[in-house]
Amino acid sequence: MVPLENYLALSAIVFALGVYGVLARRNAVMILMSVELMLNAVNINFVAFAAYLDPGRIVGAIFAVFIITVAAAEVGLALAIVIRLFRNRATANVDEAATMKW
Amino acid sequence: MATEVIWWLFALGIIALSAGVVFSRSVIHSAIFLIGSLAGVGVMFVILTVEFLALTQFLIYGGAVTVLVLLALMLTRADPSGRAEKVNGPQAPFALLAGIGVAAVLLVAALSTEWAGNTESPTNIAIEAISQRLFEDFGLPFILASVLLLVALVGAIIVARQEEGE
Repeated sequence: MVPLENYLALSAIVFALGVYGVLARRNAVMILMSVELMLNAVNINFVAFAAYLDPGRIVGAIFAVFIITVAAAEVGLALAIVIRLFRNRATANVDEAATMKW
Repeated sequence: MATEVIWWLFALGIIALSAGVVFSRSVIHSAIFLIGSLAGVGVMFVILTVEFLALTQFLIYGGAVTVLVLLALMLTRADPSGRAEKVNGPQAPFALLAGIGVAAVLLVAALSTEWAGNTESPTNIAIEAISQRLFEDFGLPFILASVLLLVALVGAIIVARQEEGE
């Protein structure tokens, strides 16, 4: 069977790719996609820990359910804000949306 | 043996597709790589024998979130001609450094720690066990999560709607 460390290594690599994407991208929607990658890496970790180290209490799997819920809410609201920004500013570039009010 | 082969296949697939998401030059390609990467994570949940989360993953990420992302991408194309835009800011080299640093720290921490308990094979998490935990012990957070979803839904509609005289 696959040992726990394999899942942790996979999750670490995907999380680091997400960090790079969040920091490097200019388009707000692409930053959101990188955030989704990071959330999924965390989910892999939570579920792996629940299945390997904590099979009696499975708190990790419950946490993953809540993470998926909050991520869905986050992505819906964030995309609404991006669409709003695009309507007011004709851009989805976060560098050009540095002011709080216009 | 077969599990290992499938695991490595999908693990390398997830890493390649995730790299595609963050390194691709086209936003649409990024979104399509994201669908594959999220589906691969769902397969990981199947291998971990947590079928409920795998189903949730396919439904919510594979279906809802990626469709929403694709829709937002198509609604916010500043340049519909489709020519390659500059997708990375001038800070991209430093972002690469930060990513490599995060990967190094996480890998060293995860692989050098002695985990207490069984790290060789996963235990099956039955869907009944998840529902029992969720509704008996995490009842209040569950209700709060549904309220959060409702509030986010209403908020998204209010933020994105076209106002009078706009």
